[in-house]
Amino acid sequence: MRCANGIEARQVNEIFINIDPIQAGGRLTADAMKAVIAYGDGYSVCDNCRKPNRLDYISKPPIAEFHRDLAAWLNMDTVRTVPGARRGFQAVSHTYVRKGDPVLLTSLSHYTEFLAVEEAGGIPREIVADADHRVTADATAMKIEEVKREFGRVPVLAFIDHVDYQYGNMHDVKAIAKVTRQYDIPILYNGAYTVGILPVDGKDLGVDFVVGSGHKSMAAPAPSGVLATTKERATEVFRTTSIVGDVTQRKFGIKEPEMMGCTLMGATLVGLMASFPHVKERVKRFDRELENNRIVMEALLSIEGTKVLSEYPRRHTLTRVDTLASFDKVAESHKKRGFYLASALEDNGITGVIPGATKIWKFNTYGMTAKQAKHLADAFVAIARENGLPVT
Amino acid sequence: MYSLTDLRVILRETAPSHELDTEKRAQAQRLLENLERQVASLKQEMLR
Repeated sequence: MRCANGIEARQVNEIFINIDPIQAGGRLTADAMKAVIAYGDGYSVCDNCRKPNRLDYISKPPIAEFHRDLAAWLNMDTVRTVPGARRGFQAVSHTYVRKGDPVLLTSLSHYTEFLAVEEAGGIPREIVADADHRVTADATAMKIEEVKREFGRVPVLAFIDHVDYQYGNMHDVKAIAKVTRQYDIPILYNGAYTVGILPVDGKDLGVDFVVGSGHKSMAAPAPSGVLATTKERATEVFRTTSIVGDVTQRKFGIKEPEMMGCTLMGATLVGLMASFPHVKERVKRFDRELENNRIVMEALLSIEGTKVLSEYPRRHTLTRVDTLASFDKVAESHKKRGFYLASALEDNGITGVIPGATKIWKFNTYGMTAKQAKHLADAFVAIARENGLPVT
Repeated sequence: MYSLTDLRVILRETAPSHELDTEKRAQAQRLLENLERQVASLKQEMLR
């Protein structure tokens, strides 16, 4: 079935249980799907844009109210929607980083944080995660001291991922923020895997910026995200334009240069807004998500040779496993080689594992029902047994 | 259109077997009946 010329209708989430590590939290709610249909036209949210002509002032649809609610929900003072978390990193980096400035990242930071630093001319310095793949406050303090020795000054900005994309491990941002505050270093909380998944309280964490991803974790279309700040930082990152045209003498009102004026429009914004009430509720039920993950993990670990590389017990549903001594052993002699695992999963109505991956791979159980978690757990065990792997 | 979206979400929640429990079956029933009413109404409006 095609939805348009040459474009297959996508039915992945209708036909399969999808355990793709980056797709789980971004699946749309029914309300978001409906809003996207209604507001698909380009400038659809601008029907009632009135002076002062900025997206976050529009009251119909209730975009202004959404901004206020979103900031309050994150316990921050000001928020803007952005086209993906990466554009939030970019705005903050561009505001604080100058050529040659050291910037604190971690050995588990997402590549887009590096690119944001690169674009601003900054020099990345990574806090090294420990043997358990956790970034600690002690390691942060050590790195800052190292940077001071190297550059003669402290980093101008720190990016810390609450849950990293590699292991899905949870890092102690609150303790890390306490350290960065002692050195007066602004800290950006990367909540790409947390905002919209579990409760986030920016003030309690003591961070200057909270960045979230709409399409990764807030059941919203791509590209969408949020950038929230404290009142103090808002005047810096969300400063308004002062430029004047030399011939026309034109000025541009209260547009914000770091946001390039208005940010999300149409389907992305209303999708984010429509899912928001559901997202606010679902973060309160994160324990159920962990329970589903536990069901799957116990099944996987019952297959002899399988190891979990993420922290365990799990505190997030994004999980990295090592199946070198289990599923990969089968791949050595299987006629489909490493592709047998994804193929067998697909036969069981499961998708999202990279075809060919049998060594070290990731999956995400977020958003599935308990019945689907049980189905997934049983499928892993059945595939192991069918291929002669011992199950305890 | 929106009833179809709600039906789509039921398919997602019950993948891959699409075995509907009593509650989901009742929900699907309501949505399909509503859909039939909407289609009938559209037929009347657009094909008159």
